[in-house]
Amino acid sequence: MKKWCILLAILTFLGLKSFAQEEPNAKQIIHRAEQKLNGKTNQSEIKMTIIRPSWKREIKLKTWGIGADFTLILLSAPARDKGIAFLKREKEIWNWQPSIDRVIKLPPSMMMQSWMGSDFTNDDLVQQSDPVEDYSHKILGSEEIEGRDCYILEMIPHEDAAVVWGKLIVWVDKADYMELKTEFFDEDDYLVNTMLGKQVKLMDGKLLPSILEVIPAEEEGKKTIVEYLSISFDKPLKTSFFSIQNMKRLR
Amino acid sequence: MKTLLKLSWRNIWRNKRRTFITVASIFFAVFFSVFMNSVQRGAWVRMLDNVVNFYFGYAQIHQKGFWDEQSIEKAFQMNAEIEKLPQQVSGLEGMVPRLESFALASYGTNTRGVLLIGTNPPLENSLSGLRERVVKGRYFKENENAVLLSEGLAKLLKISLNDTLVLISQGYHGVNAAGKYPVVGLVKFASPDLNKQMAYLPLKVAQGFYGAENLITSLALKIKDKDAGKKVVRAVSDRLGSDDYEVLGWQEMLPDLLEAQKTDAAGNYLFLIVLYIIITFGIFGTILMMTKERSFEFGVLVSIGMNRMLLGFTVWLEVILLGLLGALLGIIGSLPVVYYFHLNPIDLSGFSKDITKVYAKWGFDPLLPAALEWQLFFWQAVLVVAITSVLAIYPIWKIKNLQPVEAMRE
Repeated sequence: MKKWCILLAILTFLGLKSFAQEEPNAKQIIHRAEQKLNGKTNQSEIKMTIIRPSWKREIKLKTWGIGADFTLILLSAPARDKGIAFLKREKEIWNWQPSIDRVIKLPPSMMMQSWMGSDFTNDDLVQQSDPVEDYSHKILGSEEIEGRDCYILEMIPHEDAAVVWGKLIVWVDKADYMELKTEFFDEDDYLVNTMLGKQVKLMDGKLLPSILEVIPAEEEGKKTIVEYLSISFDKPLKTSFFSIQNMKRLR
Repeated sequence: MKTLLKLSWRNIWRNKRRTFITVASIFFAVFFSVFMNSVQRGAWVRMLDNVVNFYFGYAQIHQKGFWDEQSIEKAFQMNAEIEKLPQQVSGLEGMVPRLESFALASYGTNTRGVLLIGTNPPLENSLSGLRERVVKGRYFKENENAVLLSEGLAKLLKISLNDTLVLISQGYHGVNAAGKYPVVGLVKFASPDLNKQMAYLPLKVAQGFYGAENLITSLALKIKDKDAGKKVVRAVSDRLGSDDYEVLGWQEMLPDLLEAQKTDAAGNYLFLIVLYIIITFGIFGTILMMTKERSFEFGVLVSIGMNRMLLGFTVWLEVILLGLLGALLGIIGSLPVVYYFHLNPIDLSGFSKDITKVYAKWGFDPLLPAALEWQLFFWQAVLVVAITSVLAIYPIWKIKNLQPVEAMRE
């Protein structure tokens, strides 16, 4: 009887182990989360609210994207900024300023500057780096966030990747592969930004957080909230849509 | 007393050569120090006038903390309280509202960083005389969609009159700021730095560009009477309180200029001290000689019953007379020279390129006008009289301890 018990214990242990092996590794988790968020193609309408201790401002924008390589962003409000567009094609980013009839190519040196005065940088906006290929990933453990069981992942950028962060800690929902929280650390391991995913909703058939909040770590009272007004995935979009000519034409 | 004065006056002229030497050395000391002082003073008065009038105004009002950050986020709104200031504070003649920030200016393929200033055209002209700086084209009008560019900047951008300048920047609260403005005029600044980076828009247009309706970053105060400046600044500051606003005089906005002035003045003082030490010894030398030469005479006078104190006083008067004579001549001699250079400033650009550059850094031509101020002359005279009266203690002391027999034998 005792022997049976031990055998059972061993079997259970082995069984657990083999079950554990079926779990995705860190890279796969990020890959799935990324795929879920971007889809093959995606289109969205976003309201961005920039909150500062003494004031608050709203920007509305429309976005189009194919995977991580092609992104187009068009501002639709406020009136003075209407028509301004940002285009990302692979490694290059362009900005169309209708009020001066100019297309400006954003140099890499501007990637870390604030986008339209928000807590997002130009780099965040266009996601120049690839979260799957440009980082090495490691699972640190699990934790519950807003009642959802999450993996805690550590992402460290490769030396040659065009990434300014020293380290990212990401909380990814185990069941639905949603990034619910991300902490951005600089090269000296100081927390710079925290991004929170909130109000998980079914949007175009996918369960995703409909609100993203970016909170700079050391600046009290500052916050940027991104709210998806609508989002749709996998609608047909051609890469030819992502051209400078089209960026100027979009209304 | 009158007799003593007469006596010492005649004594001076008994040995004309000695008198000439003494008077000449004092004359030169006074002449040089007056001249140097007035040139130095004149240069600084001109420099401060230039800087203060050229742009800053004697003082400026900002929102608290603006000067340290120089950020458009520290813009503020004019309110009734501020607008009333010129009526309430005497000595404050006017205020120029400005909205200042940085922008990129572009024409064709050339782009430059510029200091973009939104200002009220007529008020700006009344403070800094911007209209007179227009070298090409015309001055801009209120609410006109037009930009005034500094001449050097226009050259760098290869832009000419009536071309359209593109400006791009980040506005108030991080808004996108971009706009096109035709160049209506070119302004010239003596300072190459400023000449390469100044651009002016009418205030309303700049407020539109930066998305900062009705906001300004600074109010330049117009104060004609520089001597009352500090008082006016304090009065304005008291009225506004220090919770929301800062009222800064040019001394606080340009501390390096103030330091430069102090350093220059200190160097000058050092030079004058050395000059006066040399002169002091020169005068002392002649006094020593005189005391020695006249020891027989002193001995005779004392032995026939002349009061030692009276004798000492006479000699003291002689020395003072010499000093006054030298100082007076020095002042009379330097007056026309100072006056000439007051009207015709010394032009240093002929001497060295470097000097020109140093002055240009502060924004003006290397001209040194002499200041014509009575204090400068007056203090030289006071100083010389003070030095000579101290030196004259020597013969008095000598006479006091004089042994008539020995003195006559020497």
